[in-house]
Amino acid sequence: MRFTIFQESRRGQRKVNQDRLAYTYSRDTLLLVMADGMGGHAGGEIAAQIAVRLFIERFQQEAKPTLKNPLKFLQDSMLRGHQALGSYANQFSMLETPRTTCVACVIQSNYAYWAHVGDSRLYLFRQGGLIGQTKDHSKVQYLVDQGIIGAHEVVDHPDRNKIFSCLGGLVDPVVDLSRRTPLRTGDLIVLCTDGLWSVYPQEEIARALTGTSILKSSPTLMREAELRGGPEGDNLSVIIVRWGPETVVDEPTTTITETLGLGEFQTEIDRTLTLTDRKGAQRDLTDDEIEHAIAEIQATIKRYRR
Amino acid sequence: MGVTNQALPSGYQLLNYRIDRQISRGGFSIVYRAFDDSGAPVAIKEYLPSSLVLRTEGDIVRASTAENLTSFRYGMKCFFEEGRALAKINHPNVVRVLNFFRANETVYMVMRYERGRTLQQQIQMRQDQVSERLVRHVFMHLLNGLREVHTHKLLHLDIKPANVYLRTDGTPVLLDFGAARQTLTNTRPKLAPMYTPGFAAPEQYREPDRLGPWTDVYGIGASMFACLAAFAPQAADARLSEDHLVSAKKIWAGGYSDNLLEVIDWCLRLDPLERPQSVFALQKTIRDIPPRKRKLTFLDTLKKKLFSEVM
Repeated sequence: MRFTIFQESRRGQRKVNQDRLAYTYSRDTLLLVMADGMGGHAGGEIAAQIAVRLFIERFQQEAKPTLKNPLKFLQDSMLRGHQALGSYANQFSMLETPRTTCVACVIQSNYAYWAHVGDSRLYLFRQGGLIGQTKDHSKVQYLVDQGIIGAHEVVDHPDRNKIFSCLGGLVDPVVDLSRRTPLRTGDLIVLCTDGLWSVYPQEEIARALTGTSILKSSPTLMREAELRGGPEGDNLSVIIVRWGPETVVDEPTTTITETLGLGEFQTEIDRTLTLTDRKGAQRDLTDDEIEHAIAEIQATIKRYRR
Repeated sequence: MGVTNQALPSGYQLLNYRIDRQISRGGFSIVYRAFDDSGAPVAIKEYLPSSLVLRTEGDIVRASTAENLTSFRYGMKCFFEEGRALAKINHPNVVRVLNFFRANETVYMVMRYERGRTLQQQIQMRQDQVSERLVRHVFMHLLNGLREVHTHKLLHLDIKPANVYLRTDGTPVLLDFGAARQTLTNTRPKLAPMYTPGFAAPEQYREPDRLGPWTDVYGIGASMFACLAAFAPQAADARLSEDHLVSAKKIWAGGYSDNLLEVIDWCLRLDPLERPQSVFALQKTIRDIPPRKRKLTFLDTLKKKLFSEVM
């Protein structure tokens, strides 16, 4: 597999970042996952973290090095995630189960498969045009479908944050699954939370990313999106994959998975700072964090010692 | 002179290492030569920012105020980033980390001890011009190391002759990853940027979002320039307002191959997009340069004759 990938999450103007995102790949399969913990609910951050971790862990158990049935993997992981949140709330006697949206995508043998719950989105662009996307499980999307409001009214609608399907909700989530979608070189897969799509229409995302190196255009896009979010700006996150060898710049930015051994995985979890910082003040490390960092470095030294 | 942090004394036993002497002192650390259990030499870097005086006697690092402790712990993150970055890399041209631990209320990084001197010292010591062969030799190897660094999605961000160590056999080792950053995961730098005027690329001053392999490429170009000139090129932030940098091709025309000089100028372009976009692209160009024809010595003629049939 060859692809170029970019992921970033920004806190916007909120005190905490409740978005979580990660990607992981084996030699032959790539998984992208993103969750937006629901504000107003207890521990939205925790919910997003649990959902993303669960996807990564299940992937690493099952992708050896391919998934037998990607759609079933996505569906099962969503349901397991939902259950995991329920048991987490039980375990800690929480009054309310933590909740999150979730969107995940598997790419395997040049086909993409995706699933989502809630209003975190996936867009698939080919040559600047949108050829696939998720449909939000939200009240406003329902109103659009019924012809009660127009698509352009979604962004400012007072109910735009109301979603009817999520992980951790009272009822089992509605999981939408995509078809098995063939990919071509140059296709762009974009996962994003509402903090991004509400300020950046999909046509503009396509325009910003088409014909450029995504590693250069994506940071600009995020910066611009954060600005557009203004003083009330929500958390915003994105994972962007350009499928196939990079055509704009040369190779070191392209991820080539053939170098991974069977049974090996490479994972990047966005370690977004979650603690509130006092108007950008420095936050120091706790003793636990220091011990953790040292253990991590020692483990890495051991792993790479030859 | 004001009060400074006290270095650990010679003979001090630090876990299973015995301190021999202080090798160097930087803004954030003191580096010692020490010996491990088996008597083999190692280099140990102790995190001890010079801006905070935390140890005037003994061995324990003590923060006197809560504010001091906050700054001390905050700066420690940088030290961890360096450890994390280096732990993953096992390459002959990149300094090797052997151990990482906590003691005396601070943290230590144990590295392989290398004999030799820095490229900076090498440049300053030489009376005559540095030969093209030396420049090529050092930088070809160095680029191999840097390529490995970039493969791990890391940027060095402080490439300069003082951070390149030349072993006694002449092979270079890239040192001091204190400024290194993970490139893909956290594009927003969480720590105050560190850079060395003259060697830092313009985007390091102004556009942290545009950092990339090309940023290290600028440092490589500036270091090559410094090898030839024995001083650093004009600082990039000054160049942005008024560029006084004379191209290498103009200064050393005839002294070095055109191609080497062109490569230096190419690496030193202010616009990141105009520079070589990757170490590999740069290496390809350097490798493609035909070595300058030199006069054949008697020995060469002899070799040529002897081997002409085999080759």
